[in-house]
Amino acid sequence: MPLLTLLLLTPIFGAGWILVQRGSYQRHSAILFSAATLLIAVGILLQFDPHNTTLQFSESVVWNARMGTSYAVGIDGIALAMVLLATLLVFVAILASGAIQERSRSYYALILFLESAMIGVFIAQDWALFYVFWEMTLIPLFFLIDRWGGQRRSMAALNFVLYTMGGSVFMLISLLVLFDAMPDHSFSMIAMAETARSLPPSTQLFLFLGFLLGFGVKMPIFPLHGWLPLAHVEAPAPISILLSGILLKMGAYGLIRAASILPDAVIQLQTPLMVLALLGLIYGGLLAWRQSDLKAMVAYSSVSHMGVVLFGISTFNIAGLTGAVFQMVAHGLVAGALFLLIGLLYQRTHTRNINDYRSLIRHTPRFALFTSLALFGAIGIPGTAGFIAEFHAIVGGFERWGWITIFLSLGVMISASYALRTIGVLFTGPSSNRMAQIQDLNKSEFSGAALLIFLMLWLGLFPAQTLELLNLSIQQINPVVELHTSLLTAVEPTASLGASSP
Amino acid sequence: MNQLFAPELWIGVVPLLPLLAAFWIAVGQVGGWNRGESGERETRQVTTVTTALALLLLLVIDMRALLTDFESQIVVAQWLVSSPFRILLSFTADTLGLLMGTLVATISLITLRFSVNYLHREVGYQRFFMLLSLFTSAMLLIVLAGNPGLLFVGWEMAGISSYLLIAYNYSREPATKNATYALVANRLGDAGLLAGIFFATLWVGSIEWPDLLQSEALEQLSGLHLGLIGAAFLLAAFVKSAQVPFSPWISRALEGPTPSSAIFYGSLMVHAGVYLVIRLQPLIEQSQPLSLLLFLVGGTTALYGYLTGLVQTDVKSALIFSTLTQVGLMFVSCGLGWYDLATAYLLLHAIWRSWQFLTAPSFMHQMDQPTRPAHHWLRPLQRLYAAAMNRFWLDSLSHWLLIRPTQRLAKDLHIFDADVVRPIIGVSNKIHSISSLEAWEKQSCEIESSRTDVPPGSGLFGALLQHLADGFVWIEQHLILKGGGEGLIDTIKAWGTFITRVEQQLSMPRYLLLMIMATFVVIL
Repeated sequence: MPLLTLLLLTPIFGAGWILVQRGSYQRHSAILFSAATLLIAVGILLQFDPHNTTLQFSESVVWNARMGTSYAVGIDGIALAMVLLATLLVFVAILASGAIQERSRSYYALILFLESAMIGVFIAQDWALFYVFWEMTLIPLFFLIDRWGGQRRSMAALNFVLYTMGGSVFMLISLLVLFDAMPDHSFSMIAMAETARSLPPSTQLFLFLGFLLGFGVKMPIFPLHGWLPLAHVEAPAPISILLSGILLKMGAYGLIRAASILPDAVIQLQTPLMVLALLGLIYGGLLAWRQSDLKAMVAYSSVSHMGVVLFGISTFNIAGLTGAVFQMVAHGLVAGALFLLIGLLYQRTHTRNINDYRSLIRHTPRFALFTSLALFGAIGIPGTAGFIAEFHAIVGGFERWGWITIFLSLGVMISASYALRTIGVLFTGPSSNRMAQIQDLNKSEFSGAALLIFLMLWLGLFPAQTLELLNLSIQQINPVVELHTSLLTAVEPTASLGASSP
Repeated sequence: MNQLFAPELWIGVVPLLPLLAAFWIAVGQVGGWNRGESGERETRQVTTVTTALALLLLLVIDMRALLTDFESQIVVAQWLVSSPFRILLSFTADTLGLLMGTLVATISLITLRFSVNYLHREVGYQRFFMLLSLFTSAMLLIVLAGNPGLLFVGWEMAGISSYLLIAYNYSREPATKNATYALVANRLGDAGLLAGIFFATLWVGSIEWPDLLQSEALEQLSGLHLGLIGAAFLLAAFVKSAQVPFSPWISRALEGPTPSSAIFYGSLMVHAGVYLVIRLQPLIEQSQPLSLLLFLVGGTTALYGYLTGLVQTDVKSALIFSTLTQVGLMFVSCGLGWYDLATAYLLLHAIWRSWQFLTAPSFMHQMDQPTRPAHHWLRPLQRLYAAAMNRFWLDSLSHWLLIRPTQRLAKDLHIFDADVVRPIIGVSNKIHSISSLEAWEKQSCEIESSRTDVPPGSGLFGALLQHLADGFVWIEQHLILKGGGEGLIDTIKAWGTFITRVEQQLSMPRYLLLMIMATFVVIL
């Protein structure tokens, strides 16, 4: 059986199994099915050939010949990294869902359904299929936030869906315009890319703006992030992990794909994109600094970190794009870990106000260790994955923008200020009796957090293999790389950074 | 093979032996096996045996030197290389070095033996012996080193161990104060020595004694370069030998437990400067001004020491000022070019002075008449007498010229730091007033308990960010959250209500009739 279809169907099958299953083993089944999906993804990684420039594991079945749509899936280095991240984070989110007791049957079924939709977004090689999966993620998420969320959950769920659909409309318009320009009326990504690149620059610009609105809402790009703080804060902890760990990456992933088919538009828009990226970076960082609500702080820090991704895309050179993709992976791990840990803390105390905590290190040392490491990862301390990402983004940014890149460093400093403050307030200071009641992480929570933190450190210390995995795919994104011959040198620091492994 | 067993090749071991003893005692103290009175025996055996071995080795090398003729510059290894700069681990076993080495080892051994009884059952017995060994090692390194770089190592070790010896009784305030004074004063000389090494590297190239002091190399130097190298080394020599105006430190150094440490300053360390001058003889002879400088400084010190020594009333001070006089005379003889005389003078004086210091404590018992008053010729000269009593105000002079301005500058900088720099970077001045963890916890409790918001940014940068962040929070609240997402939902709700109302109105019969009539009107 084709592996990608298997990957796509396993969670759906799991969701169906959970719905019809008797007894109260939903959690076990969900863990089993998400683990199986993760294993399939790892199997794909093992068979993946990083030196092959074409799509791998491709499958294509005509879906609607008259519309020119087909069920076409395939995977390259970037998509593979995203699929691995998605399957991993869903697994961790299900591990961390121990506190969900009511209506757990539908909860787990919805999460697995969501997983399938997210994988679909990353592996689709047909824009129509992509759009279907894109919209499909909204359905389970709406219910997950609306039924298991916090106090203002219905507002948050509605807000999230409205924002995303509002953005999708523009994306759809762009897709339809592009479809209209196609001579042979097909939605295939490769065919569309060829047509799009041959369009006049003004049309390309118009199309790209539509994509930018659609993906920018999800990513989110300042000032389209209005849904994010509410949705992240109100969603239950495991869903926050998925929201910030994968859903945001879908936006960035889509934007990179759109950039690859419309390179001329990106080159025209480089400066505004850079300005938006730096604005979002500093805006998100400063707002995170002013939050006393821990979850809101992590939510705004996501806005800030996705600014690095957009900055990397805006440079449109190899180093910058590598930084962008690496930051997507790094932020997925870091934000996933942070939402996991803070969600678990909230379950125990029912307060998210940072001032209610102190001296946790005395009573919950494991929690303190993982949270500190995750916050250090959020700053991008050398040795964590965030450092590799920021380093590439800075190298790429310096090549393209020169001294303006200093604002990226400023954003990093702001993130250091709130991360260190959080560590200081949560873990140090005089002890109190109330804090002594808090339980440390249990086994499944510990293994979930340890997995994420371990990967974060592993990618930070040994980034060579991941960089190699991404390298060829990133070169494919930017077909105009020949125009900027100087950019080719950017590959050198990329390759030499992790030269330790062959 | 025979070469390997030549005793002179083992000369590097001589300063190493006392160093190992010091290390051994330190390890024992940390490990706890030679503490207290029971450890005294082992401590004294280790120190005495190592120093005796060092002396024995030196004597063997002395015999070799008398009988055979070996290469006096012995290179053991390369110590550090930094392109043009190279320091070898080398030793100079010429007549001067061997003479001085033997002298140092002998006096050290005698002093050690003396201290065994003198310090019996004192607190810090082991520490004292460790420091004596360290000092012995340092002095041996100074006199045997084959280049000023290695000499500097010994020079610094001597400075540190003398600092620790003076502050031996560290619970007494004068002891620690005097130790600091001596250390800081010695640093002046260290600066001179470093400058000398630097100039020599720059203008001569190699700093090995034979290369540095050979006549061809010196003749190629210009007068200014020669003068600078010489003056830098002479500064080091003057400070170490406590010449005017650097004299006050040596009288303060007498704070250590008598008489052992007094011997070290009075008869060993004070001569290190003279040794350096004698070693530099070829260099100084090239330059008239340097000789003149030597003559003047030495002469002034001799006069100073003589006059001040006359009016001292305690035996230690009288001895140390008399030492200064003699050392000053040695510099004078060097200045006049009589280096051999100075060498002989140095050796004899060191031995004589050690004997005097060792017997100083028993003078009290041997005295059968009151101390002799000042000389009759000095008595009518009231001003000179007062000046001598005040040691020519050298102490106050250094206080006025160096210490007071430094303190004032430090105070001003402190005020600047507290009033300008700290507020700008946002560090609280309060932190200094918290003395214990408990106080800090109490303070932070008070701050934390009254707060529901996150702490504000501090400092100039923090305040700037604070304002920016407040602006962003306003934008976020009013424009993006209220105006964006929530506003969207509110608008939709409002529209929904409106349309529902229209729908309701439309479903009423009278409006239905109106609509039908309107339709007819349009059709017609």
